[in-house]
Amino acid sequence: MTLIESSIKAKIRRFIKDNFLINFGCNSLNNSDSFLKKGIIDSTGVLELVSFAEKTFNIKVEDEELIPDNLDSVDKIASFIKKKKS
Amino acid sequence: MNLSAFIIDSACKYPDNTCVVHDSNRFTYFEIDRLSDILANTLIENGLRKGERVVILLENSAEYIISFFAILKTCGVAVPLNTQLVSRELSYLLNDCSPKLIITNSQHQSTLKSLTNPKSILLIDKLNLNKKSIPETYNLEPISGNDTDLAMIIYTSGTTGNPKGVMLSHQNLCANADSIIEYLQPSASDKIMVVLPFYYSYGTSLLTTHIKVGGTLVIDNRFLYPNVVLDTMKKEQVTGFAGVPSNYIILLRKSALRKYKLNNLRYVTQAGGAMSPAMIQEFIKTIPHIKFYVMYGQTEATARLAYLATEFLENKLGSIGKAIPGVELDILNEQNQRVKTGETGEIVARGANIMLGYWNSPEETAGVLTKEGLRTGDLAYKDEDGFIYLVARKKEMIKSGANRISPLEIEEVACQMPGVLECAAVGIPDEILGETIGLYVVKSSINLSKNDLLLFCKQNLAAFKMPKVVEFVESLPKTSTGKIKRLALTGDLQ
Repeated sequence: MTLIESSIKAKIRRFIKDNFLINFGCNSLNNSDSFLKKGIIDSTGVLELVSFAEKTFNIKVEDEELIPDNLDSVDKIASFIKKKKS
Repeated sequence: MNLSAFIIDSACKYPDNTCVVHDSNRFTYFEIDRLSDILANTLIENGLRKGERVVILLENSAEYIISFFAILKTCGVAVPLNTQLVSRELSYLLNDCSPKLIITNSQHQSTLKSLTNPKSILLIDKLNLNKKSIPETYNLEPISGNDTDLAMIIYTSGTTGNPKGVMLSHQNLCANADSIIEYLQPSASDKIMVVLPFYYSYGTSLLTTHIKVGGTLVIDNRFLYPNVVLDTMKKEQVTGFAGVPSNYIILLRKSALRKYKLNNLRYVTQAGGAMSPAMIQEFIKTIPHIKFYVMYGQTEATARLAYLATEFLENKLGSIGKAIPGVELDILNEQNQRVKTGETGEIVARGANIMLGYWNSPEETAGVLTKEGLRTGDLAYKDEDGFIYLVARKKEMIKSGANRISPLEIEEVACQMPGVLECAAVGIPDEILGETIGLYVVKSSINLSKNDLLLFCKQNLAAFKMPKVVEFVESLPKTSTGKIKRLALTGDLQ
C-alpha cells in the first residue's frame, strides 16, 4: 500500500468513524468489509461519503460511478479515489 | 378468506409463473406454495397454535415470503420486524407481542439469543427449504378460521414513544389488496421491482397484490447503490416500481437513471409522504411513457386510502386524489362535522381495510377508532371536484425516507444518558429523505459531549433513528402547560 493510499484510507476511516460512529477492528468494520453486507451505512450514508470524497480529494464522482465496485468498502473507495486522482 | 388463499389460488392458476426473483434465485408459484406448506407443518411441529404470533426477522427474500404464507396457513399471526433494530428495540417488541416462534436466519441469531428463549428461534437457512427438498405430493391439513381473525401485526411509531402494533385481519389485508388491484390493474405478466421492506405496510401491499394476480416480485435490497437496482430493473424487464419520495429523489439526483432505457416499465407508484410536484414532473419527463400513481395511506388502514388517477395528474398535481374503491374518506372539523370545500379538517376513513386496533393498547385504539371512522391525524381539504390535498400532520411524527419516527422515542433514549436534563427531537427538512432528525439538548452536566451522547443513542436506537444534528441549548421553548413547542424549534437546525 502506498503512502497516498494509506492517507486516503485514514481520512475515509475517520469520516466513517465520526459520522456513522463505527469503530474499526474486531467485531466491527474492517477495510475490506462490504457496507452492503454489514448493513452499517444506508443509501444517504453512501451519498454523504461520496460528497465527503468529492470535497476532500477534489474529485467529481459521476452518476454511473455510484456502484459497489467503486464504493462498497474502505479499500474500494480508496482504490477508486486513487484511480480518479491519477 | 384467509390471506394464504392468495398464494394457494395463484399456485393453482399459474404454477410455473415466476413468483419471486432475488439475486440468482428464482421460485415459481408452485415452489413458494409448496415450501410454505412444508414450513407451516414445521411451525405446527414446533408447537404453534391458531392465533399465536410468529415474528419474522428477515430481509426481503423468498424465505420471507415462504415464512409469511406458512404462518398464515397455520392461522398464526405474522409479526414482521424491522431488521435494523438494535437489541433494546427488539427486546421491547418481543415482550410486547410475546411470539411463540421467531423465524430468522443465522445473521440475526446472535442478537436474538440474549433476548428470547433460543428454542423459539427457527433459523430458516438451516431448515433445508430449497427446491430440491420439494416432494411430488405433500399434505398440509387445512386449519379453519374466520375473515376477521388476526393475520398480521405491523409495528409503527407510537405517539407515546413506544411502537404500536397495528392489528390487521385477513379481511383487512384481502380488502386492501383487492382495492389496489382494482385501480392499478396489475396482472400475471407484471413484474414489480421491490426495494421497500416487506416489514412495512407499503412493502406488504406489494407482496399481497402481486401474489394475488400471479405477478412476479423482483427483490433487490441494494438501493444503497441505485444503479445496481436499475441494472436489475433492466435485466429482469420489470414493469412496475414502488417507492417513497426519497427513492425517487435518489433515482433522479444520484443515479444514472437517464442513461437507462427502461422500456418495459409501465407504471410507478409513490406513497409514504408528500413528494413535491416538481419532482413528480421531473420523473415523468425523464421516463415519459410511464403511468405515475400518487398514493396515500397509513398502516392503520392496512396500507392504502387514496390515490390520484394518472389522468388527473396534470390538473390535480399536489393532490393525493380520492378514496380508493371500497373506502370512504371524510374531512371533519373538531365538532366531527364535514367541512366545506376548501376548509381544512382531519381525514377520517371507513372501509374493510381499517385495522382491528392496536395490540395491547385499548386506550390508544379508542383514540383513533371512533364511531366516525379511523382518525388519520392528517389535516387536509377537498377542492370543488372532491380531490384531497394534505395540509399538515396532527401527529408529531418525523418522516425520514420510508421510516416514521416518534420524536418521543428518541427523547426518551437521549434522556437516559447521564448529563442530559431534557431534550427535544425534531424533523429537519432534508432534500433526499424529506426529514432528518435534529436533537436539542439541555445539559445537566458540563461534561456531556455531543459525541458521547451520539454513541449512547447508537447503542440504543436503530441507525435510521439516529439524530444527524445535536445542538446544546440553555432551555427548550414550552407551552404554558409545560409541553415542548417543537414547531418553534424545527426551523433552527436547518
